[in-house]
Amino acid sequence: MSYFFDSKNTEQMPKGRVEGIAKVTGKAKYSAEYDIPDVTYGVMVGSTIASGRILKMQIEEAMKAPGVIDILSHENKPYVSGFSGMKEMPDNRFGLPIFYTDKVYYNDQPIAMVVAETIEDAMFAASLVKAEYEEAIPETDFAKKAKEVSLKETENDRGSVGAWENAPYKVDQEYTIATEVHNPMEMHATIAQWKPNDKLVLYDKNQGVNRVQSVISSLFDIPTDNIHVISEFVGGGFGSGLRVWPHTIAAVMAAQQVKRPVKVMLTRPQMFTMVGYRPESWQRVKLGADKDGKFLGVIHQAKNISSKIQGFSDGITRVTRKIYGFKNVKTEEAIVDLNVPMPTWNRGPGDTTGCFGVESAIDELCHELKLDPVDVRLKNIAPYEMETGLPWSTNYLNECLEKGAELIGWKNRNPVPGSQKEGDYKIGYGVAVGMWGSGRSYTGASIDMQKDGVITVRTAMTDIGTGTGTGMQNVAHTVTGIPKSKIKIELGNSDFPKAPSQGGSRGMASVSSAVYAASLALKRKVAGYAWPDKDANTLNIDDISLSDKGITYKDSFLPYADIFGKNNLNDIKVEEFAGPGEERKKYGFCSSAAHFYKVKVHEKTGKIKMDRMVIVADAGRIINPKAAANQVIGAGAGGIGMGLLEEQLIDFKTGRLIGNDLAGYHFAVNADVPLIEVSFIGKPDPNINPSGAKGLGEVGIIGAAPAIANAVFNATGKRVRDIPITVERFFNA
Amino acid sequence: MKPFEYTKPKTVREALSSATRHSHYIAGGTNLVDLMKKEIDEPDKLLDITNTLPDQIEVKDNGVVIGAMVRNTAIAVNKIILESWPLLSKAILKGASPQIRNMASAGGNLLQRTRCPYFYDLTLPCNKRKNGSGCGALKGNNRMGAIIGYSDACVAVHPSDMCVALAALDAKVNIQKADGSEETMNFLDFHRLPGTNPEKDNNLPENALITSIFVPKNNFSKHFEYLKLRDRESYAFALVSVAAALDMDGNQISEARLASGGVAHKPWRWTKAEDFLKGKQATAENFAEAARIAAEDTAPLSTNAFKVPLLKGAIETALHTCLTNKA
Ligand SMILES: Cc1cc2nc3c(=O)[nH]c(=O)nc-3n(C[C@H](O)[C@H](O)[C@H](O)COP(=O)(O)OP(=O)(O)OC[C@H]3O[C@@H](n4cnc5c(N)ncnc54)[C@H](O)[C@@H]3O)c2cc1C
Repeated sequence: MSYFFDSKNTEQMPKGRVEGIAKVTGKAKYSAEYDIPDVTYGVMVGSTIASGRILKMQIEEAMKAPGVIDILSHENKPYVSGFSGMKEMPDNRFGLPIFYTDKVYYNDQPIAMVVAETIEDAMFAASLVKAEYEEAIPETDFAKKAKEVSLKETENDRGSVGAWENAPYKVDQEYTIATEVHNPMEMHATIAQWKPNDKLVLYDKNQGVNRVQSVISSLFDIPTDNIHVISEFVGGGFGSGLRVWPHTIAAVMAAQQVKRPVKVMLTRPQMFTMVGYRPESWQRVKLGADKDGKFLGVIHQAKNISSKIQGFSDGITRVTRKIYGFKNVKTEEAIVDLNVPMPTWNRGPGDTTGCFGVESAIDELCHELKLDPVDVRLKNIAPYEMETGLPWSTNYLNECLEKGAELIGWKNRNPVPGSQKEGDYKIGYGVAVGMWGSGRSYTGASIDMQKDGVITVRTAMTDIGTGTGTGMQNVAHTVTGIPKSKIKIELGNSDFPKAPSQGGSRGMASVSSAVYAASLALKRKVAGYAWPDKDANTLNIDDISLSDKGITYKDSFLPYADIFGKNNLNDIKVEEFAGPGEERKKYGFCSSAAHFYKVKVHEKTGKIKMDRMVIVADAGRIINPKAAANQVIGAGAGGIGMGLLEEQLIDFKTGRLIGNDLAGYHFAVNADVPLIEVSFIGKPDPNINPSGAKGLGEVGIIGAAPAIANAVFNATGKRVRDIPITVERFFNA
Repeated sequence: MKPFEYTKPKTVREALSSATRHSHYIAGGTNLVDLMKKEIDEPDKLLDITNTLPDQIEVKDNGVVIGAMVRNTAIAVNKIILESWPLLSKAILKGASPQIRNMASAGGNLLQRTRCPYFYDLTLPCNKRKNGSGCGALKGNNRMGAIIGYSDACVAVHPSDMCVALAALDAKVNIQKADGSEETMNFLDFHRLPGTNPEKDNNLPENALITSIFVPKNNFSKHFEYLKLRDRESYAFALVSVAAALDMDGNQISEARLASGGVAHKPWRWTKAEDFLKGKQATAENFAEAARIAAEDTAPLSTNAFKVPLLKGAIETALHTCLTNKA
């Protein structure tokens, strides 16, 4: 098993990430990189129609190809209890019942898996697998079908629409966002290995090992404890790893069928169809205000793409009910099911989408009112959590706005669109904000101390590039006093104390508390061994501290060698769990961010360049400033993708995706991204958890896209309501 | 990928005589290997020509001869090229990524195939991949497609940046045919328009080798620009690109060159606009008129009308930049 730093070099601990050295030296093992004896290779085969039925699999030629062991399909598969009793779609909670249906719901739906001796054999044979279909005409055009689907109440309304019917100022506009694909760098992959007595080992790319355990357990009807999931290094997720996708289930089935371990790794084009995406969406926002810019009411309607397999609502209007103190709110949503792959949560799910509508509409309103968009927002921030009526535990959105305005030099902005120039470029400034509910979940962590004083902190939680391991080390160091060079981190393993998935910005807020609790427990336990005559539970915990050499209590010091020797110990172990409690009934919790961007737009070519990006976030205490800034920088770069570049096109006739590889799908590259200027308010939240850290993963992207569009408006007077702002959308606006 | 045989001929003669109907030459492999992985090209045999063809840049015959195996990066950073044909260097550096340019050869660059998504997806119709199957892009998603010179059979565009500069600079292509005979083709005649047989990208005879590229001397090294407009700032193919070069006499234009990528099945020369500029003053009005003349002949497809204003803006901007972009 790998480790989060090289144990032989503990003195040369990296100043950045605990796992940094392992990653840059290639020692870090990602799921597909484990070398399992006797492994076979699985390659997924997708359908070539978007709707219809498979009449017959044509596998004869493929079976004859060199190295082929077996080909799974609905005609040839092992028993899977969860699928065999399956009800009609779209109610199946597992998503696509892979190999348990002859129906085709979207193009490139996995219909077979070739298992062969080598990856090359498997890929070649996969190219020979064909199917005979009965084809139906697919529904693939969101804009077209969305018109036919009626909206439903979200049942979260406040006040009434009538109350602001006569608002002196109103905007009423529609906004759309193209489909966006997560595309983490690491391809999704699974190695499935069955062991005697129904035991299963999975090396799997995902964001939560315990979630994988429970899904596989209920699908295959084996106890959770029989399933060992290892996801030590995860090369990004953005939400694509929050579900268990068909390829993982197929790997488990195939390993059962061929009685050997099976490794499957998606290809890049499969990353576009088999592990979700942020669904294309439509929104209408109607906003009313008085002459001073005080909001009177809002109607927010939204629709998003869903698949025919399983309904997926992105929850686009939620954010509208949250950020501002609207007394009158009406929100309606609908899903539009098409013959397309399954969408899923993508960074800041729902709120990122919803914010584009609402934050754009506010900018439109401010322009009409001739009021400053920063002032108007400051005036309208929700004074308490609107949906529950609870007071905010902490909400420093106002400070984010004030600080961001200061940093970008907002007061020098000319509010008249198209009035500022630099060379051949028009320049403009835009602002938008984002908010995300700060959650926390029940999480475990353990600490294991060795005789030399080195401790290993463990949790099942994954680190998907979020800096989770580094944050854990920071907390353990701060609480125990043990130097960082003596703190090892192990995570992403279902043998370790249970933890929620790394998602929804809950990771650090949850695990920091578990590590905090375990660190305190360790101090007491070591103290108990050191001074058996004292009752360790009653000692003032702040008087106890650990170091690389031993324990100190007030004036007494005892080296670890003595403690371990005297008690005849090999190691000292503690395990603690921590989760939310009564505070959730007393307060509302949120993280927030303000985005202040400067764009340049070329007068003749319409080329849009991000010139400056200032992002100020309130995420409570910042446990590791570097990792935290890194989260926000990544989110900002993702925001450029959403605002300007990322768009998954589809061929309406066939339901095939267009340009589904990294040359055809354009997320931002370094050349598109200016230096992103990140700062934090940094005030601990006293109620959320012992560390005072609120979540940070999502909020950096929420509000990014509208800040870009608002800046483009300020630069050019063109209001682009459909993103990404590709050149055609800009010209047509 | 289909299994294949691999050999490395030592001489041009050996390469030519080893070639069969189902073999392919492989140079940098940056395009061919992708096409093989996608099962678009399924050769039985690969003939690795990296040691077969010249990889030198030489001043000769009142111009420069670039060996077919010179890597794209080596051309872009070459002193002679930077001094006398800087437009070529600039165009190359706007293409692909450093890693790809380090591998890509001069000959391979000319022969890279279109990036039309319908060509790349085996399940979709594409006459270029399989003549007679139809053109999926014609009525499908064609935002990357052509705006000039296309046919009902094919609306794909040639993806190269380097070739746009070569088209502007009146280059020639030296080839050696399967029977050993040699031939020189004008660059502008090398690539084809699709017509009814889009499966043929160019006029290179079957199994012939490109041995080198010749670029004649010119007076364009002082006022030039390669402007590439694309969906993102790097690592993306052109929506529209413009190679512009001016030979100036004071503020008067003695000669002009204008070519574009991303608009047609081959690198496109805007000769009418060039003729217009000849003898004119370098003014914003004349540049705008040149852009208008070029755009006049275009006819966009269902989803790429934006390319026309984009082209106009790009031509004007590139011509302006020529005046300040002094090497
Ligand atoms: C992700 C990506 C992005 C790219 N972006 C760009 C871009 O923005 N702009 C751009 O211009 N290009 C771009 N390219 C394309 C790149 O420039 C070409 O792939 C490269 O120039 C091909 O050269 P090669 O030597 O690798 O050709 P190979 O792949 O080796 O060969 C290509 C073809 O040419 C034939 N061939 C090669 N040499 C000869 C010869 N001397 N005689 C006869 N036949 C020969 C081969 O048989 C083969 O059919 C990109 C490529 C990739 C993969």
